[in-house]
Amino acid sequence: MIEVGRLCVKIAGREAGRKCVVVEVIDSNYAVIDGDVKRRKCNISHLEPLDKKIEMKNGALHGDVVDELKKLGIDIKETKKKEKTEKPKKSGRKKRTKAISEGKKKADGKKENAKGPKEGKTEKTEKKKADAKTKGKGIKIKVD
Amino acid sequence: MPAPRYRSRSLRRTYKKTPGGRTVLHYEKRKPSNAQCGRCGGILKGVPRERPYKMMKMGKTKKRPERPYGGVLCSRCMREVIIEKARKEQEG
Repeated sequence: MIEVGRLCVKIAGREAGRKCVVVEVIDSNYAVIDGDVKRRKCNISHLEPLDKKIEMKNGALHGDVVDELKKLGIDIKETKKKEKTEKPKKSGRKKRTKAISEGKKKADGKKENAKGPKEGKTEKTEKKKADAKTKGKGIKIKVD
Repeated sequence: MPAPRYRSRSLRRTYKKTPGGRTVLHYEKRKPSNAQCGRCGGILKGVPRERPYKMMKMGKTKKRPERPYGGVLCSRCMREVIIEKARKEQEG
């Protein structure tokens, strides 16, 4: 029953219920099918042969199979092949590295500040005084 | 003694281990029964047995097999139905 050109219906898997044509018989268990399904090797037990037979070469091309099926009135949904899109430029990574470096710088600055007051009390007090002065100035300016 | 509403067995009990190492008793609503084939009544494989709120969170492909009649008929019945259809179409 299964021979080259035999019209079949797939009865298993996601393509079940779709029509296909046997393009090549591999052995007693497997055949290559094409048509309203993806061109693939298929277990013969997953095919239900119909009474129609199409004349075609052993291992016919996909286009020929589609043309033959269209003559029989079987529409085939052609899936568009995905166009190769260019990979996004690696600008994102650069930004990340920049951010990291900036963060490091900031961290370093903080460390320096942290070290400052530990060195001596006098510096701390001086700084506090200075801060108070600046703060006071700032407030005054705002009021004005 | 648990609160009166927890004394019936309409809620199922699950033992949860807390991060602190205690085991605590949690009460959960029971799961629905298994999905069945519409033709032979057999249990459908590949259809999870979960409460609706959990099913809502799942993807479509996780809720049923990706084939015609997936989640409605079992694979054997689906095959029989499709063969029947193909043979009828041939005759008619």
